[in-house]
Amino acid sequence: MRPHPRLAAAALLPLLTGCTGPQSALDPQGPNAASLAWLIWTFTAVCGLVWLLVLLTVGIALWRRRASSGAADEPLRPESATERRKQGVVIGAVVATVLIIATLTLMSFVATRSLTASSGEPLTVRLRGYQWWWEVTYTADSPDRFVTAANEIRVPVGRPVRLELSSGDVIHSFWVPSLAGKQDMIPGRDNVLTFTAERPGSYRAQCAEFCGMQHARMALVVIAMAAPEFESWLDAQRQPAAEPADEEQEAGRQVATGKACAACHTIRGTRAAGTVGPDLTHVGSRQTIAAGTLPTTRGALGAWIADPQTVKPGNKMPMVPLSADELRAVSAYMAGLK
Amino acid sequence: MRAVAIAGLAALLAAGCQREERDLRLDPPVTAALDQVAPMANAVGGAPPDVLGALGEPYEGNAYNLSEGKRLYSWFNCKGCHADGGGASGPALLDGWWRYGSDPVSLFVTLRDGRQNGMPAYGDKLTTEQIWQLVGYLRTVGVSSASFAAPSRNDEMQSRPAENRAPASAELGTPPSR
Amino acid sequence: MTASTAGFATIRQSDGHDPSGGSAARWGIVAAIAASVGWLLLSGTAVAQESASGFSLRLVGTFRTDNPNAHLAAPVMAGGRLLLLTPFPHRLTALRLGPEGLHPEWRFTPETDRMAEGTACCGLGVRSPAVAGGRAFLNTADGRTIALDAASGTKIWEMRTADRGSGESLASSPLPVGDKVLIGNAGDDFGVRGWLKALDATSGATLWTRYSTGPDEDVGIGPDFAPFYKIARGRDLGAATWPPGAWERGGGSVSGPLMADTGLGLVFHGTGRPAPLNPDQRPGENRWTSGLFARDLATGAARWFYQLAPHDQHGVSGTGPLILADRDWKGRARKLLIHVGLNGHVYVLDRISGELLSAEAFAPVNAFRGGAAASGAIAVAQEKATRVGATTRDVCPAWTGATSSEGAALSAETGLLFIAAARLCMDIEIRPANYIRGTPYLGANVRVKGPPEGGAGELVAWRLDDARPAWTVSEPYPLLGGPLWHPRGFVIYGTLDGWLKALDARDGRLVWQQRLASGVVSAPMLVRGADGAEYVTVLAGRGGAAGPAAGLEADLRDATAARGFGNLLRGLSAEAQPGGTLYLFALP
Repeated sequence: MRPHPRLAAAALLPLLTGCTGPQSALDPQGPNAASLAWLIWTFTAVCGLVWLLVLLTVGIALWRRRASSGAADEPLRPESATERRKQGVVIGAVVATVLIIATLTLMSFVATRSLTASSGEPLTVRLRGYQWWWEVTYTADSPDRFVTAANEIRVPVGRPVRLELSSGDVIHSFWVPSLAGKQDMIPGRDNVLTFTAERPGSYRAQCAEFCGMQHARMALVVIAMAAPEFESWLDAQRQPAAEPADEEQEAGRQVATGKACAACHTIRGTRAAGTVGPDLTHVGSRQTIAAGTLPTTRGALGAWIADPQTVKPGNKMPMVPLSADELRAVSAYMAGLK
Repeated sequence: MRAVAIAGLAALLAAGCQREERDLRLDPPVTAALDQVAPMANAVGGAPPDVLGALGEPYEGNAYNLSEGKRLYSWFNCKGCHADGGGASGPALLDGWWRYGSDPVSLFVTLRDGRQNGMPAYGDKLTTEQIWQLVGYLRTVGVSSASFAAPSRNDEMQSRPAENRAPASAELGTPPSR
Repeated sequence: MTASTAGFATIRQSDGHDPSGGSAARWGIVAAIAASVGWLLLSGTAVAQESASGFSLRLVGTFRTDNPNAHLAAPVMAGGRLLLLTPFPHRLTALRLGPEGLHPEWRFTPETDRMAEGTACCGLGVRSPAVAGGRAFLNTADGRTIALDAASGTKIWEMRTADRGSGESLASSPLPVGDKVLIGNAGDDFGVRGWLKALDATSGATLWTRYSTGPDEDVGIGPDFAPFYKIARGRDLGAATWPPGAWERGGGSVSGPLMADTGLGLVFHGTGRPAPLNPDQRPGENRWTSGLFARDLATGAARWFYQLAPHDQHGVSGTGPLILADRDWKGRARKLLIHVGLNGHVYVLDRISGELLSAEAFAPVNAFRGGAAASGAIAVAQEKATRVGATTRDVCPAWTGATSSEGAALSAETGLLFIAAARLCMDIEIRPANYIRGTPYLGANVRVKGPPEGGAGELVAWRLDDARPAWTVSEPYPLLGGPLWHPRGFVIYGTLDGWLKALDARDGRLVWQQRLASGVVSAPMLVRGADGAEYVTVLAGRGGAAGPAAGLEADLRDATAARGFGNLLRGLSAEAQPGGTLYLFALP
C-alpha cells in the first residue's frame, strides 16, 4: 500500500492535542512556564537539527564508502587529500558540539535564574505534602488569620506566589506544568518555588515523585483569580464552618463530629479537631476532593465517604460504617461546607 | 537443551516471587462480623470471631497490617500514655504483663470499649479493621519470639529494641521484677 | 519512757516563709494546741544512721500508707493533727501522737472516678491539702475539690471542679484566702485550657474563673491590667497569638503553687506550657502560657503578666516554686517575687509592677541565651530550637523541669535560696500531634539524659543578692522533692534513691543522713510539739521505678518511658516494699 502523505499528516494531528489544556508544559500560562517552554522548544529544535545532521553525515559516509571500493586494497594507508578533509570535518564537529553545549548550558542557566526572579511582594503559601494529599496554609501577619486548607491553591493573578514546600512523610514533588517546573518536597528540608499566574484560570498540578500506592492520584488544582476576588475568597476561608442549613445537614454535622471523622479531620467551629487528615472546614468550596480524584459534588462526596478504599485503594482514610441515612446526611453537610 | 534449562530456571524464579497479599478493603459484612467478638463475663479473654480464621489470621502474620497498626499507634495518641511501649501514666506494653489480657480478643475489647481504670474507648474513633490492625501491632511490641512478619522500620526516634529483632528474647533483656 | 499525746504546729513551711506573718501561705496555718509529747514505738524498716557534730535526727515514729503511687503531698498541721493525703485513689488520714505511736484519729476516703487514672499526670500524686478556719480543703486527681471539717473529718462540701472527660485534673494544693478557696487545673498533656477558679469557702460554689488563653474577657485582662513589658500589651492576645481555634486547646494549666499577698490584694501563679508540645502546630507567641500572672484576689482580674517563654519550644512551663520576700534589692527595699523556673533560671521580679530584676541559670542550660532582653523574656538559642520532623539532641533543661513545684526554700536571714535541682538534658523529636478529646495531645518523643558533666541532681545554695551559687552538693539522681531550711543553719532534703540528708548551710557539708524505705518526692516539714520540741516529718514513697513521672508499671527498657525518665532511671532499683511511709524525727 502506498503511503498517502496527507493521510499521514492528518494521522499525526491528534498528537498535537496533548500540547494544550489545564496541565501542559507546552501551553504555558505564566512567565516561569513560558521560559521553561521556550527552553524545551529550543533544546528540541537544536538537538533535532544536530540529530538530522549526524544522520545525514552517517548516511553520506556509508554512501561514499559503498562508492569508493579502491580504498579497500590498502585501508591503512592515509591519502592526504581525503585525510585533511576528514580532519576538518572532525574538528568542525567537535567545535560545533562544544559551542552548542555551552550555549545550551548558558541558556539553561539563565532560564533557571529567571525562575526565581520576581517583581513585587510575593504571596507566601506553605505547601506540605502527605501521603496522598496536600496541606495548604496561607500565612498572615498574625497567626489567628492563618488559613489552613487542603488540595487546592488559589492565587491572585499577576502577583508572584512563593510556595514554601515541605513534606510530612516521604519525598513528594510539586508540579504545575502550566505555571512552573517541578520542585521536590523533601522531609526535613525546606524548598521554595516561585511562580506567577498571568491569566485567571484553573490549572491542574500533581505530585511528580513516586510516593507510594496512590502517587498517581495525588493531584491538586491551582486556581488563579483576580486580586479582589482572591481577597474575598481568603476572608471567606477564614470563617469557621458554615452552619447547617436544614435538618439533614444538622444530622450530618452530628455524624461528622460524633463518629470517627472527628478523630482525623478538623471542621473549625465544631468539636472536630483532628489534625492527621485534610482540613474540611470549607471542603464544599473546592473543585475536587480526595486530592483531585473526584469532583466536589454531593454524590461524589457520598461515594468517597462510603468507600474510600475502592476509589483510592491503600489510602489512609478507612471505610467508616454508616447507615444510608447517615451517609446521606453527612454528604449533604459536607457539600454545604462552602 | 540449553533453552529448556533456561526456561525451567525462569519458571522456578517466577514461582518464588509471591508478593504478600494486602487486603485494602474489607467487605462490610466481614467488617461487621469482625466486630462480633464474644468476650468472657469479665471482658478479659473470649472467643475470636470465626471470620478471622476464614480470612487466614490477617492481623498476625501480615506485614502491611502490622505497619498500619504501628502508624495508628502514633496517630491516635497512644504514645502519650504508653510511650513507645514503656508506659508512662498508662501501663507498659513491652513487659509481657497485661492487666486485661494479651490475647487478641482481650486487646480488641480493651481498645474498642476502654477499661475502667483510665483506658479511653476508641470504638467511636477507629473502625473495626483499624482496631484489629492495632491489636496485631501491639502483639509484636513486647514479643519474645520471632515471627515471619514484622512492622516496618521506625520513622520516629528509636527508643527500644525493634519489633523485628530475632532472636527476640536474647536482645530484649530481662523484664523488671515485679 | 512515758509520754503523752502531742499537738503539733507547723512552724516553718518548706518555702521558708514564716506562717505567722501577714501573707497567707499555701499550707495550713494553725497555732499549737497544748499537749505533751509522746514517745513512739520504732517501726518500719532497718535504718542506718550517721551523725556528725551538733546535728542529728532521731527517729521517733513511722506510719505506712498502703498506696504504691507517688506521695507528693507533704503532711500539714490542723488542730494538733497531722493530715496526710495519699495519692489517687485518695485517703486523707488525720494522725495523732499517742502512746502507741502515730495513730490515725479519723480517715476520709472520697469517692473516686477510676477513669481518672488515665488522665491524671504525674504518677497520680496530688499536693497537700490546705487548712484554714477549721476546714481542710483538698483537691483530688479526678477533678473534685472537697472541704472537710479539720477536727472531725466530716465532709462539708464536695464540688466537681475539673472536667475529667477533656483530660483536666487537679494536681496542686488549693489556696484558702479570706472567704475564698483558689484552685488551678492540670492537664497540659491533654490539650486542656488552663484556668484559675475561686470557690466560696463555705459552699464551694464557683465565684469566678480566669483562663490562661482566649479573649481578654475570659483571661481577666481589663482596665487594671498594667504589664511592665510591652509584649504583654495588645487586644485579645490570648486568641490573636494562636492559629484559629487553637487557644481552646492551648494548655497553660495552673498546676503549680499559688501565692497570695493579702497586703497587696494579689495572688500570684504561673501558667503551664502551651499544648501541643509540637511548636509548629501553634505558630505565634501563644499568650498567656509559660508565664507568671499577678491577679486581683477578689475578682481574679489580671494586674500584670511576665512571659517566661513566648512560643515555648521545650515544654518547660511556668509552674515552678513561687516565694514572696520583702528584701533590699540593690540598695532599695522592694517586694519581691522569686520564681525558680523549670527552665533552670532563678527569676527575681518586683511583685508590684512585674519588672524583672534578675534571671540567672542555676542548672546547666543551653536552650536559652542568658540575660533578660528588653521584652523581659530570655532568648532561645537557635541551635536548640525544635521543629516538626526533627530531633534536637542534648537540649538542657529537659521538659520535666530543672526543679519541681515545691523544690525551693528561702532562708531570709542568710539570703540563701536552697533549690532541689534536677540537672537534666533531653533528646526531643517533634512529631505531628492529633487532637482527640480525652487523649494526650503532645507531639513529641523525648529521651531524658543526665547533664554533660556532673550528677543528675544537685542541692544548690543560691545567693540571692549575687545571683550565683554559694555552694552545691551533687546527687546521682534528680531531686524531685524539696528542701527544708532549719533556722539553726541546716538544710534537710530527701533524694530519689531514698536518702534523707542534712547539710550545714554555710558550706554544704553533710552532717547527717539516713536511708529511708523509699525515695522522697515531697518536701520535709518542720513541726513543733506542744512541749516545744521540734520534729521533722518526711514522707517517703516515690511510686515505682520511674518516680512520680509514671504509674507503677513502666518498663524502663524503652528510653521514652515515663516521660523520658526511662532512660535516666535505669539504675534505680525496684522498691523492696512499694508504698508510702511517713517518718517523724525528733531534733535534739
